Amino acid sequence: MIRKALFTFVCLALLAACAPSATPAPAPSATPLPPDPSIVLSDGLGRSVSLPGPAASVVSLAPSNTEILFAVGAGAQVVGRDLFSDYPAEALAVQDIGGSMGEYDLEAIVALQPDLVLAQAGGFNSPELIAALEGLGLTVYALPNPSTLEEMYANLETVGTLTGHVQEATDLVAALQARLAAVDAAIAPLSARPSVYYELDASNPAAPYTAGSGSFVDQLIARAGGFNIGSQLESQWAAISVEQLLVADPMIILLGDAAYGETPEKVAARPGWETLAAVQSGRVYAFDDNLVSRPGPRLVDGLEALVRLLHPGLLP
Amino acid sequence: MQTRPYFLTLLFLLLAIALSVAVGSVFIPPADLWRVLTGRPPQEVTQAAAILLDLRLPRTALLLLTGAALGGSGAAYQGLFRNPLADPYLIGVASGAGLGAVAAMSLGWPYTTLGLLAVPLAAFLCALLTVALVYSLARLGRTVPTTNLILAGVAFSSFATALTSFLMLRSQDEVRRALAWLLGGGSVAGWGAVLAMLPYVAAGLAGLLLSGHTLNLLQFGDDQAAQMGLPVTRAKTLVLVAASLATAAAVAFSGIIGFLGLIVPHLMRLWFGADHRRLLPLSVLGGAGFLLVADVLARIVLAPQELPVGIVTALVGAPFFLWVLRRAKGQGIW
Repeated sequence: MIRKALFTFVCLALLAACAPSATPAPAPSATPLPPDPSIVLSDGLGRSVSLPGPAASVVSLAPSNTEILFAVGAGAQVVGRDLFSDYPAEALAVQDIGGSMGEYDLEAIVALQPDLVLAQAGGFNSPELIAALEGLGLTVYALPNPSTLEEMYANLETVGTLTGHVQEATDLVAALQARLAAVDAAIAPLSARPSVYYELDASNPAAPYTAGSGSFVDQLIARAGGFNIGSQLESQWAAISVEQLLVADPMIILLGDAAYGETPEKVAARPGWETLAAVQSGRVYAFDDNLVSRPGPRLVDGLEALVRLLHPGLLP
Repeated sequence: MQTRPYFLTLLFLLLAIALSVAVGSVFIPPADLWRVLTGRPPQEVTQAAAILLDLRLPRTALLLLTGAALGGSGAAYQGLFRNPLADPYLIGVASGAGLGAVAAMSLGWPYTTLGLLAVPLAAFLCALLTVALVYSLARLGRTVPTTNLILAGVAFSSFATALTSFLMLRSQDEVRRALAWLLGGGSVAGWGAVLAMLPYVAAGLAGLLLSGHTLNLLQFGDDQAAQMGLPVTRAKTLVLVAASLATAAAVAFSGIIGFLGLIVPHLMRLWFGADHRRLLPLSVLGGAGFLLVADVLARIVLAPQELPVGIVTALVGAPFFLWVLRRAKGQGIW
């Protein structure tokens, strides 16, 4: 009996909790408050990061972050950048704060006294590093690692907000979206989808690495009107056996590892590769991997470069 | 008791500490250094104070403890196994810790205090678990034959290392983090890590420093030592537990720093003799000093890039050791 009464009580209480609240929402105050310059944003590690105002000095811990900072017009605020940040050329003049093997020069970062350290979540910067920087009294924002172009746009706007370049970031996103729409419109009527093999690393030519499903390379090849033969592979950085490659017989080979010395001539000389359609028709191209591996605004440059190679003459 | 070896090794360690505190990528004038260290930092050197107190000193302390643990454990293992190739990782501490750390990383713990502790905690526990497993596998009745221990350790290490590589391949997002950890270094640890590892390293080293006489007796072989009244299995187990505890704590926070635990005891034996009552404390002091010097090199050779200190210990340590070995030829060190 008591149990039944208790049950009823609990049900009623739950109903009451679910019922819409009767109290009206507080009316917006009549006099607008002066705009509060402080910024509170949630970052890629789920931390809430607050800044008293837009950061006047920023240390970038990843090449994509550096590219975004310069692209939204915050280049002059960058006081330190990691070893791998080599674009745009102005970034090379900024102080190098290390980053090989994930080891940054913490002393140099502290000495720069930046308002903000822009890190990257998702494997590039370890959570231990971010905790250490925080422990030194620095404000760290870990930019989420985007997996789609839309998420990359969101990062551009986030960096615009953090550095006080909201308008530039909005304009940049609009411009990128327009270029993307132009590509989509040009590709839509095409029926042919050339098959593409994108090489990431051929240190072991018997099992080279290619970009698998989920990677930006895979998405951009599809968007550029091609078929990535690596799209069947589960990993973003996937080893493909040469036997599979010969069966797939790609029409186009893109050498993302051109920076490591791979050339169309070397590819043609690999045993068995001379039978590939791409090699016989001479459609083996060096490709700037930085355009598709760094999650920043240059992904759209990468997309256009892919369209030019896959469908020559399609874009002006 | 001869005091000269202690004096020389202690002097080397003090010099190494001074170097480790004074040298960094940001130059701090000696006068400011002194004022910060003596607790009288004026306003204008607050930045130097932050760099010294929050970065350099915890790093120096962490590496000091790590080097001490590896040096001492190395000497104890070489004595215990009566094998010049023994090092603190021989029976699986490093491979077990590596497996634990990489497994914790690939699980993708959320960014919380516990999440950050997950890696060292998993490394520490897996290291101790591995040693326990190897020990129980090597056990034959009431004895623990040394050869069995070595073979079980080597076999299990290969297994754990293969599993670690597999996990790294599976979780590609964490490869950089895992690799940096496996190569060793303590650049991002802070005072928390020093305090966390201190009790284990202290307890382990205390156990080792008391085992000098035991190890001297064990040099005659298990049977002889038993005839001389040593409870052989118990003594061996004590040395193993103490060395594993110290090494596991060091590895959990500093990553896997190779070679040091192998050569520091040899250098000490070469210079100051094989009596374990002296060799153990000297290897503790020498290991700490050696790692600090290696770390100073790691910081300045390619500045502002920092090399993982595990690379430097072998890269600089191996030629140095070979040079000492050449000079000592004919003398025989074992």
